[in-house]
Order: sequence, then structure tokens, then C-alpha cells
Amino acid sequence: MSAPKKYGMSIDIDRCTGCGACMVACAVENNIPPARPAANERNGITWIRVFKLDNGEDYPGKRSAFIPVLCQQCGEHTPCVSVCPQQAVDVDPRTGIVGQMPERCLGCRYCMAACPYHARYFNWWDPQWPPGMEKTLNPDVAPRMRGVVEKCNFCHGRWHAAQERAAAAGKADIQPGDYVPACVEACPTGAIAFGDLNQSDGDVARASRRPESFRLLERLGTDPKIYYRSRRPWVRKAAQDSRPASKAPQASGPVSQVAQASRPVSPSKEASRG
Amino acid sequence: MAHFIFFGALYIVIAVVTSTLSTAVLNSRRTLQSQMTDRIAWNSEFHELPALDRVCRHVLTGELRSRECRHAFDCRECQTHARLIAKHPPTPAGKLEEDILGMSFPLDRLYHRGHTWARLEDDDTVTVGLDDLGRRLLSAPDAVDLPQPGTRVHVNSTAFRVRKRGADVRLLSPVDGEVLETGGPDRAWYLRVRPESFNVKHLLGGSEIRPWLQCEMERLQLALAAEGAKPSLADGGVPVEDIAAGYPDADWDAVCGEMFL
Amino acid sequence: MDKGLIARGLKRCSTGRFLLWILPWAALLAFGLYSAGLCLVLGLNQTNMDNRFAFGLWIFLDLTIIALGAGAFFTGFLLYILKVRELHAIINSAVVIGLVCYSGAICVLLVDVGQPLRAWFTFWYPNVHSMLTEVTFCLSCYLIVLFIEYLPIVLKNRKLREVPSFLVFEFELHKLIYVLAGVGTFLSFFHQGSLGGLYGVLRGRPFAFREGLALWPSTFFLFILSAAAVGPSFVLFTTWLVEKMARKPLVRPAVLQLLGRISGSLLAVYVLAKTVDTLVWINRTSPERGFPAAQYYSWQPFGTWILFAEIVLFGLAPALILLAPKLRARTGWLVSAAAMACCGVALNRFVMTIQTLALPTLPFDKFLSYYPSWQETGTFLAVVAYGVLVYSFSFRYLQLFPEERELKLEASQREEPVLAGRY
Repeated sequence: MSAPKKYGMSIDIDRCTGCGACMVACAVENNIPPARPAANERNGITWIRVFKLDNGEDYPGKRSAFIPVLCQQCGEHTPCVSVCPQQAVDVDPRTGIVGQMPERCLGCRYCMAACPYHARYFNWWDPQWPPGMEKTLNPDVAPRMRGVVEKCNFCHGRWHAAQERAAAAGKADIQPGDYVPACVEACPTGAIAFGDLNQSDGDVARASRRPESFRLLERLGTDPKIYYRSRRPWVRKAAQDSRPASKAPQASGPVSQVAQASRPVSPSKEASRG
Repeated sequence: MAHFIFFGALYIVIAVVTSTLSTAVLNSRRTLQSQMTDRIAWNSEFHELPALDRVCRHVLTGELRSRECRHAFDCRECQTHARLIAKHPPTPAGKLEEDILGMSFPLDRLYHRGHTWARLEDDDTVTVGLDDLGRRLLSAPDAVDLPQPGTRVHVNSTAFRVRKRGADVRLLSPVDGEVLETGGPDRAWYLRVRPESFNVKHLLGGSEIRPWLQCEMERLQLALAAEGAKPSLADGGVPVEDIAAGYPDADWDAVCGEMFL
Repeated sequence: MDKGLIARGLKRCSTGRFLLWILPWAALLAFGLYSAGLCLVLGLNQTNMDNRFAFGLWIFLDLTIIALGAGAFFTGFLLYILKVRELHAIINSAVVIGLVCYSGAICVLLVDVGQPLRAWFTFWYPNVHSMLTEVTFCLSCYLIVLFIEYLPIVLKNRKLREVPSFLVFEFELHKLIYVLAGVGTFLSFFHQGSLGGLYGVLRGRPFAFREGLALWPSTFFLFILSAAAVGPSFVLFTTWLVEKMARKPLVRPAVLQLLGRISGSLLAVYVLAKTVDTLVWINRTSPERGFPAAQYYSWQPFGTWILFAEIVLFGLAPALILLAPKLRARTGWLVSAAAMACCGVALNRFVMTIQTLALPTLPFDKFLSYYPSWQETGTFLAVVAYGVLVYSFSFRYLQLFPEERELKLEASQREEPVLAGRY
């Protein structure tokens, strides 16, 4: 049919303003149910989620950056695929997208423990839409049931739709640009670039090869397809640091609730760390 | 490859477990049909007896220092017993007393370690009864369950049952055969049996009775003490006609369970 | 009242007192079932687990009781395969403990998953590369084996054994018990191991990830060792507890000391293996993945004290106590060491479950804490109550301790030395 694709993203952190439009667009596109009153940043569903990174200094040296984190679509040794006992996750060889099958998911949450990017979300509640809101549902995406895991799938439904349009038009393959996930489309600054990493002259592939590009948790060997880049050295360093520290940038989520802070141990220990 | 190993191991495990279960079921069916149930029941009860109850008869007579019976008191198949009997033939009956430790143990019969006795009658039938110690343990029973004439009994199977004060005791049959007539506690015997064979190697007689009875009295003291009875039956004491009446608080089921195996 | 059901020669408390004992546990079970019911009906939002703490109290306690229940397979292996005859005195009790632990764990697991009715999917679409598949299959098969091993114990009940078919079936099954013991050992080896493998393969969690042999990380073997070490300790501890509560001797002290010695030796081997593994992890595995090990212990309350407690305080110390014959001979030391060993395994399972998930992986992450909700605690208390109830009924109506009768006679013999001639 067509050569296998490896869809990936290149996210320009310097362009991200933290507006959260990608989060909203994702929720609308993928029929995420409205959060229950008891939901918080730890049990809500946000397939894409913007984190704030600070450089740890006070005024006037304080600087911030925003990092949208979504499923990294790991390639090699995909942590979630190998651990699912029911084979409810697989890597689509045609697109490289890590797809989750909610109908087969048992809800054991082993994949959630395995994912280092915390990109997987569990339906702790039955999805419920207030009366009238069902009109906003996207008919091309199936809502998930209570007790299963879900995550970003690069708006797989849109890929299917693009394939069908191409087939209807008699084309062998979809063109770049025919298919973009909702977050890419919604971003007002164009911070997220989406494309086929196998096309070495494509935007995303070229961006991924730039010296300021990096991937999260690269040394774990997961081979993610999301490349981040920033011209600011402190951003690159902070995003690849192995741990959040009190002196170094501290993160906070987009929702205002503050999670339990922790007191690090004696300063000598911190000094001895690399 | 991993698939083969995984499913191979799984199917092997399932096969082993199901075949074990089905072997057990099939063997059970066969055993039930062959009427070995009584022997199995007795074997399992024998192995639950405390070690001091399973002592070989030749230890009682002093021929051996210590040995645990390996045939559930069925000496007919025991090589050691055959060997020892050949070496020390039993004392002729005439020289022995009938009155042992105050209880009457006539010499015209042979005794089972479960306190039943068997006597060959002139018409080649066997009379089965309860010995004097057994009678004193179960005197004035609440109920007696005797088998119907025509029932088959086997060595070490249940001959008849007696109930007294919460104790439900099954008495072990000393012989194989078919029940012809039943007696009871008011008569001198309980069953009259037409024997299949008169192999009585497993029964005690003659000079074995005294040491066995001494051992039984010790066991009775132990059983009573275990049930909280105060010191009694000091050396040389004679058990009364109704032992149970002397120990109203003792668990008679436990005491009888000990004494009647 | 229920005298006819109690084995001959054994003394048990009156029916009234037994009911008085049962009642609070039954009430606890009812409350626990209600908690579990809430979780099943209303959803897992009833718990305090969340997207970061995907595993919580239930998984931690499940793993602990499965490790503690390992006494069933290990005692069976020692008795029926290696012919350590003295263990005949506690095998029945060990089987009941194992049955209770495994069936309880599986019930909690069914409440823990989001879609319990889909549990059969693992059997129909198994992922042979996943450790959790291995766990599911081995646990299910082993639970069946445990039920089959429990059956003869039940069939030997005083009333039930009077049914000829039960009696004969028990007899025939017992002849083949070594086959079941072998299968049980094989299955237990794999499921205890794959429970360890669950954590060791998590390449996304450098705190838990370990190198290993072929497709099995070192935690696979460490979990087997720790379970085999702590199984006899738990049997020892429960036997002592039951003896205390029943106020009568149930096993010879030599049997308990044997269990202690077995547990101590395995525990010593485990501590050695764990130390080597920890050193490799601190110096090679974790730094290679970009995570210096010291940072794991820089978050309160999980300082290095927890590593010390797990390996030295609740690992090496009980191992040394259990290996010292003079200390083993003293019940206080023996039972305390056994309890400490059990705590050590519980701590290890806790660290692998909760600490793994609490630690941040991403730099813009946080160290989070979690405490269970009352529904979670209630569900687990249901398992405890269920265990106590099953064990209580088994102790009363079945012969869990074959030496009890003999010990009763020996005790009265000591009080009343028999004056007639010895034979």
C-alpha cells in the first residue's frame, strides 16, 4: 500500500505560551468527559498536559517555560506494550502510533505504572455528560467506559478519516498535512509540529536533528517520537535533569491545586549529587 | 518461540493436574467396587493414633524393645510376627490364669487389640463379643447398633457400634465373615459369624494377655488423666463395673476413642 | 452441640464460645464486603489511588500475603519431595494458610481492576511477554492446586469421612499428593518470581528496574527467595499464635525450630543476594539510566533508613537469630525473629510498590504521597476476616495438627507419671 510511517512531533518550547488550547482541543476531539467534582490534577484525564518549568531564580532573574507532555509514542521497548497482559496496547506498524484498545483493557493499570511519562490516564469514574452536552461529542471517536486506561493516540480517528478521503479520491496515500492531531491544529503559536519522521527532509525530522532538540528520559531507552527543542540552555538542562530539586526548577501543574511538597534531605547530600 | 514455551508449560500443568484428579477418581471407583473401603477406613484411623497406641504386640511381651506396627494390627501379613512366633511358640493354655488385674479374660477365646474377642464354636461359627475391660467402659450403654444378619464383616472393620454418654464407639471386628445372629450387652456375646477363614494370627491369646492388659490399664490412666481426671487406678487397682460413672466430667468419647482404637 | 463434627480426642471450646469468637470477624467481613461492593458499584474513585499511584494498598498487601502464603508450597515441597518428615505436623495448617492467602489476594485483585468481568481476557488474549500474564496464569492454576490439596483435609472431617466415596477418594488422592506438591512448587516458583519480575522489567521506573538473567530481572529470583524464606516463618508465627489462643500444644517445639532454621538459612541467602543486587543497582543499573541512586532516598520519609531497615534490620537480623541454635530454642526469640522476617518481606513489597510510584521520573514531576481510603482498608480487612474465619472453622472441625492428640497424651503423662511397669 504505502511505506510505513513513523509519525512524531517536534515541540518548540520557546513558542509555547502555556495557553492550554491544545488541552481543550484534545478534550473536545476525543470526547473526554467533564471532570467530576472530586476530580483533581491527579485523577483527571488530560491526554496532553502543559507543565510549567521555572529556572529556580527569584525576581528579576526568574524565567519560566511551558512544556506540553503527551504520550511520547515510544518506539523501542515500548514500556506499556510489553506489560499489558491482554495485549490491549500495540504499536501500529503503519504509523508508529501506540494504540490503546479500551474495549480489551482490563483496568489493571500495569501500563500506568510502567509509563515513565505519566501519559496514561484511568477512568476512575463513569463518563457522564450533562444533558445537552452530548451534542458536542465527536461522532468519530468512541467514548471509553469506566475502569479502563486511555491515552493520546495522535487523534487516530483523524488518520482513518484522512485515509478514507484519500481512498475516495483514488490516491494511494495521504499527503502530509492531510492529517494533523487536534492539538497541533489548535496551537495558536504553531509550537507543535507534526509529521512523518521517516521523511528525512520533512519539517519534523529536520527539527529533530537540530542541536537544541532533545527527548525526555532519553537514557531509559524508550525511543520516544516526541522531540522537544529550546534555544535556552537552562530549559534543556532542566527538562533533562534526573530529578526535581529545591534549588533547581520546580514544576507545578496547570491546575491550581498544590500537590504535597516534600522536604529534601541535608544540603550535603544534594551537593554530592552530580 | 516464547509462545511455545508458555503455552507448552501451561498445557502440561493442566494435563498433569487433571490426570492426577481423574486417576484419583477412577481409582476410587475401583476401590469402592472392590469393597476395600473398610480396610482403608481402618488404615487411616490407625495412622491417626498416637505413636504409643501403635506399639507392636511383641514389644508388649518383651520380645522386642521398641517397634511400631506397620500393618495396622493385621499380623496375618507380617513377616516379623511369623518369624517371632516360630522362635517363641505361645504358652499352652493350661498354665495360665483367667483372672487378670481383677478382670475376667477366659482362655477359650482370642482377643483383638480393640477389646473385642472371637471364639470358634463347635459348629464352625465364630462368636464375637466385648471383653471385660470393654464391658466396664461401656456398661449400661445408651444404645447399641448391631448389624443385620447377612451383613459381611472384615477384620478391623466395624463389627457393631455402642453409644454411651456422648461417646459413639465403633468396635472392630476380629474376623472376616457373614453375620448369622446378633446378641447384645444382655447376652454374653454380640455377634455370631460364619467365618471366611479362621486365620487368627492377628489376635492375642495365652501369655500375651497379661502384658497387653497392663499396657491397656496404663493407657486408660493416661486417657483419663488427659481428660482431666484426678489420680486414680493406682498400681494394682481394679476398675469398677461402670468406669464412666466414676468420671462424670471426662470426655467419654475421647477416652473410648483411645481405648477402642 | 457440634461435637460430632469435631475429631475424636481433640478438645475444642463450646459452640457458644466459638460463635462469640466468630461474630466480630463476621461483622468485619460484612463491613469489608460493603466496602468492596462500593468500589465495584461506584467505581475505583472510591479509593485514593490516582493516575500517579496506579497501584496502592491493595497491590502492596496482595503481594505481601502471597509471599507469606508461600509456606504452603514450600512446606509441601520439603515434605513430599525432599521427604522432611517432621513437617508432616504442620502441612495441613500451611495449606489452609496458603489457600486463605491466595484466594483472598485474588478476590482483592478482582476488585482492584477496573473491569473485573473482563478478567477472562488475559486467558483468551494472553501476552506471553508480560509478567502479569505469567502471574495471572500461575496464580489461577496454583489456586486450583491449593483447593485440591485442601480437599483431603476437609474430607477427613469426622462426619465426612464416614461417607465411603469421600473416604476412598481422599485416600487415593493422598497417594498422588507428591504430584500436586511438585506442580505447586513449579507454579509457585514462577508466580512468586513473576511478581518480582513485574517490577524488575519496568524500564520506565529506574528505581524498580533491574538487570537479570535472560528475560528475568534479578527481582524475579529475589522474590522467589524471599517468599520461600518467609513462608516457613509465617507458618511458624501463625502456629505459635494459634497455640497461644487455643492454650494447648499443637506441634513439638522441634518442628517450629526446624521451620525457623529453614527460614533463617534461606533468609541469609536472600540477604546476600539482595545486597549484591542492590550494589549492582546503585553502582551500575540506575546511573546508566540517568538516575543516580542517592536521589531516590532524598525524599522524606523514604530516606536511606528504609533500605537499611529492609535489608539489615528486618533481613539480616532475623536471619542471624534464626540461624543461632541457642536463640532458636527460646520461643520468644524464635517467634520475634519470624515476625521480623515477615515484616521485612512486607517492607520490601511496600518499597517496590509505593516508593516506586511515589518517586518522580520527570524533572517537572513531584514526589507524591498517598494514603488509602477507608474503602480500600475495609476491603482488605474483609480478606483478613475471611482468613481468620476459614482458619477458625478449619481448626475446629478439621485436623490441622496431626500431633495434637499425641501431645495431649504426652502432656498428661508428664503430669501423671504412670506407676505401672514400662514397656
